[in-house]
Amino acid sequence: MKPKAATIFTAYLLLAPALVLMLVFTFYPVLYGAYLGFTKYTAANLGSNTPPTWIGLENFRTVLSDELFRIGLVNSLKYLIIVPILQIASLAVAVLVNKQLPGMAFFRAAYYIPVITSISLAAVMWDWVFTREGLLNWLLEFFKIIDPSGSFGWLLNPNTALWAIMLVTFWRGFGYYMVLYLGGLQSIPSELEEAALLDGANAWQRFWKITVPLMRPTILLCSLLSSLAAIRVLEEILVFTNGGPLNSTYTVLMYVYQKSFGLDFDYGVASAAGLLLAVVGFVLSYINFRITREDPPKREAKA
Amino acid sequence: MKKRWLLLASAFGALSMAALAQNKVQIEFWSWYLSPKFDPYLLGVIGEFQKANPNIEVKLVDKQDTMERDLQAAIALGKSPDVVNLWQDATAAAAQNNLLAPINDLTPMNQLQAQFWNNTLGMFIVDGKNYGYPWYGWTDQGVMAYNSEVLKKAGITKVPTTIGELLTASKLIKQRTGSYGWLPPVKDPNGASFLGQFYLEGLPLFANGKAAFNSGKHVALLQKFIDLMKGDFIPQDLLRKEAFQLNNEYYSQGKSAFIVGGAQALVRVKDANKDIYSKTKVVPAPLGAGGVQTGGSMSLVIPKASKNQKEAALFAMFMTNNKAQVQFAKLAGIVPTTKGAENDPDLKAANPNDALDVATSLVSGTGRFITPGWNPPKNTDAVYKNFNDNIEAAFLGAKTARQALSDAVAFWNANAK
Repeated sequence: MKPKAATIFTAYLLLAPALVLMLVFTFYPVLYGAYLGFTKYTAANLGSNTPPTWIGLENFRTVLSDELFRIGLVNSLKYLIIVPILQIASLAVAVLVNKQLPGMAFFRAAYYIPVITSISLAAVMWDWVFTREGLLNWLLEFFKIIDPSGSFGWLLNPNTALWAIMLVTFWRGFGYYMVLYLGGLQSIPSELEEAALLDGANAWQRFWKITVPLMRPTILLCSLLSSLAAIRVLEEILVFTNGGPLNSTYTVLMYVYQKSFGLDFDYGVASAAGLLLAVVGFVLSYINFRITREDPPKREAKA
Repeated sequence: MKKRWLLLASAFGALSMAALAQNKVQIEFWSWYLSPKFDPYLLGVIGEFQKANPNIEVKLVDKQDTMERDLQAAIALGKSPDVVNLWQDATAAAAQNNLLAPINDLTPMNQLQAQFWNNTLGMFIVDGKNYGYPWYGWTDQGVMAYNSEVLKKAGITKVPTTIGELLTASKLIKQRTGSYGWLPPVKDPNGASFLGQFYLEGLPLFANGKAAFNSGKHVALLQKFIDLMKGDFIPQDLLRKEAFQLNNEYYSQGKSAFIVGGAQALVRVKDANKDIYSKTKVVPAPLGAGGVQTGGSMSLVIPKASKNQKEAALFAMFMTNNKAQVQFAKLAGIVPTTKGAENDPDLKAANPNDALDVATSLVSGTGRFITPGWNPPKNTDAVYKNFNDNIEAAFLGAKTARQALSDAVAFWNANAK
């Protein structure tokens, strides 16, 4: 049955406020930003009040031939390593804190605290962890993993700085994804679990055969959000290293940021770099959908 | 009858007063990182200005990290502020992008020259035109504050008077007490600090308009600092954080012995650690072989898009005048960029035992020596980034000092505009 015209009208009417807001604050800026990527548009345009001039693919050539952009892209892609680790860890812990045991509410809250901690505060704290006289080196020395003469500042070593910042991302994101997973877990009917228990499935089997398949939509959502956040990492870089040492933490968004808000104010080039990053984001989303897609049910009768 | 006339007249008077009030010009002034600590000061000066110019009203807005972005956005939206606090690089960039009104069109040159030292006016000249009223300044050297207790513990009796002596003393202090001595700027994120080190030692930066900071002497100086960092006589964090900030942090915690800089650094020490502040003594800063100082100043600029440029110019001249800057120097230890501050009785140290008082009086007359040391290229972003990347590579051992400097020179000469 087709819905009545009045019903459709009401539906759109109710959607209108949100749509208008999105049009103004999301779609328009995104499309205009994309357009700027093909134009010459700098602070000088603002000064002389002239509109952007179309220059085709020129900005993309500039960006792609810039070694800094390539370094940024490699680092941003490297940053994706954090995604599977973060997702597996937060799903696992979500399963644990989902148990009806005394004190679980405390853990749920505790894991969430980093999410609501501001990055500037976190920066001060992690600084104490990562400096040469910091907590991390102290721990490693305590467990005799390194000796005191080998200690170094983690954010000052081009081989470790990116990993150190990834750890902060992990710490900040962990509670957030855990809560999302927790929500997903609580929507799984307990009957399924009980039935599996009666059938003699062990904990591992129940996790893989019941929890994971039913959690697929949540896993897709979380890993998608997390990989997009990873390639767009900026805050952590800005507060900890500014892209150093030796550009080892220089990400694509750092490049975009410096092109647009450094002294260059080259919005055209920055938009082009942003667009290229968006393409990477699309590819990642596609891969995510492919990996977590539900397999078509196999119900062939076996003779 | 007479009464009625009087009534009518006073009614007219009231009306015209109201009309006048409505005709008040409102101008918007953007300060940079001064709120909330200096709100009372700024509002005080604004109050005096409004009293002297009853038809102008000044609205104060303090901007912080996002200043330049906000300024561009405001101009693009047609809501430009009228007077804006920028700094040298930002003034140059904004002027090149045609965002600013040349101030010599608004204030006669002789008035500008009567109020400010020429060297400070010169910092804001772009393509032959003045774009900034010099506001509060600083010298990168200025004074040296030292923690007398740490020096005593290290057995240092002669306070260093040259940078060479300062580095030697720093080494001794680290060996004997475990505290650092001096934390020299080597790679501040918003500049090219090491060029400053060359400049202080009197090493030429340019020859025939080309970058030329890669001679044997330049290499040796860089190597000297690299060795200091290798031996942990200066902390490695200097590669990651601004030296000004790090010096404050370490000194206030008793983890370093010297602060070289303007008096404004001591304001923060005083707030952070009273005990260390009381042990602090102040002397003129040690200089390098060049015998020169570097420094800079803030500017007040007027956007071209401002609708009240005439009033804005009046206010900018008032905010930056000698009286207001001397007042500010007493509060914040800044270096006035105005003529006359060097002889101002208000800036003589009232209390010879108070570090900040001594420091302020020592630096207050140095406005005429403020110089950035060299003219930055127009595309500082790319050029300074490359320079700093090379300096960092040398400190981290990824390149030799010689290699790093010749790479930096090559890039500079190929790319600087």
